[in-house]
Amino acid sequence: MWYNKFVDLLTVSVTARESAGEPYTLVEIAGEADVTNTDELRRLLDEEVSQQPRTLIIDLSGLRFMDSSALHALLRVNRSLDRQGGVLALVSPQAAVAKILRLTTADRLIPVFDSVADAAAG
Amino acid sequence: MAWDGKTARRVPAGQEAFTRQPVPRPDGDGPFPPLPPTDPDDPMSYTYTTDLAAIRAVVHRYAIQAGLTEARAIDLTLAVSEVAANTVKHAKSPGSLKIWYDTQEIICQIHDEGIITDPLAGRRQPSLDALGGHGLWIVNQVCDQVEMHSDETGTTIRLHMTLPRADAGH
Repeated sequence: MWYNKFVDLLTVSVTARESAGEPYTLVEIAGEADVTNTDELRRLLDEEVSQQPRTLIIDLSGLRFMDSSALHALLRVNRSLDRQGGVLALVSPQAAVAKILRLTTADRLIPVFDSVADAAAG
Repeated sequence: MAWDGKTARRVPAGQEAFTRQPVPRPDGDGPFPPLPPTDPDDPMSYTYTTDLAAIRAVVHRYAIQAGLTEARAIDLTLAVSEVAANTVKHAKSPGSLKIWYDTQEIICQIHDEGIITDPLAGRRQPSLDALGGHGLWIVNQVCDQVEMHSDETGTTIRLHMTLPRADAGH
């Protein structure tokens, strides 16, 4: 584990993993992500994007809530990775998070998988 | 808990650390028509600054208590959180939230001192490339009715969700 940071309502953990010889970065976000902790979330995600991962997987299974500010942070990561030739994938959003992804059609822009293994397999 | 049918019911207070205070009534003119008057018997009132998680917990609890399904309670919670997020971003003072419900619907009314100048704010879908502006649009998507009034004294947004029992009656 590289780090495990608790920011107000949010816990973000980052690990480097490998699937079939291909390295990927796994970010697990747990808690509630809203406008009051988006700056910190964005900063943590920017750090990972700056490592230029080929694949960045964000596990949302522990995230109970996400508002449009946090969604923008994810969309920003998606744009940045896209520009540098990387790929972002989301995993296991809970009902409230799946709702905002669906409503804004962000789930058509960023692939959403049922498990980390599925996301890593692409 | 007593159910008296017609008038908005008093909902029991939980253990949340909020102060109850009266919320100013919207009036005045400008680009927004005044909100229709309501006369909730005894709405629950809360003030908030940045404690949005607590506000979400309260809204979700009352939404379930009023009879919304879990999915619709999630919608209302998301909507209130988005409106309250605007308070955190744009208003320089705390916001207030009132919640009341009757047999037909549950209503959450949020007031803060921020000012919205566009009467159509939240009515158009922003592009995913937009850096902001999804909040009010989401609110309009998930709620059955959204009323908004803004003038120099602040903004009041009233969110309505129809209860399933009322739907079944139609």
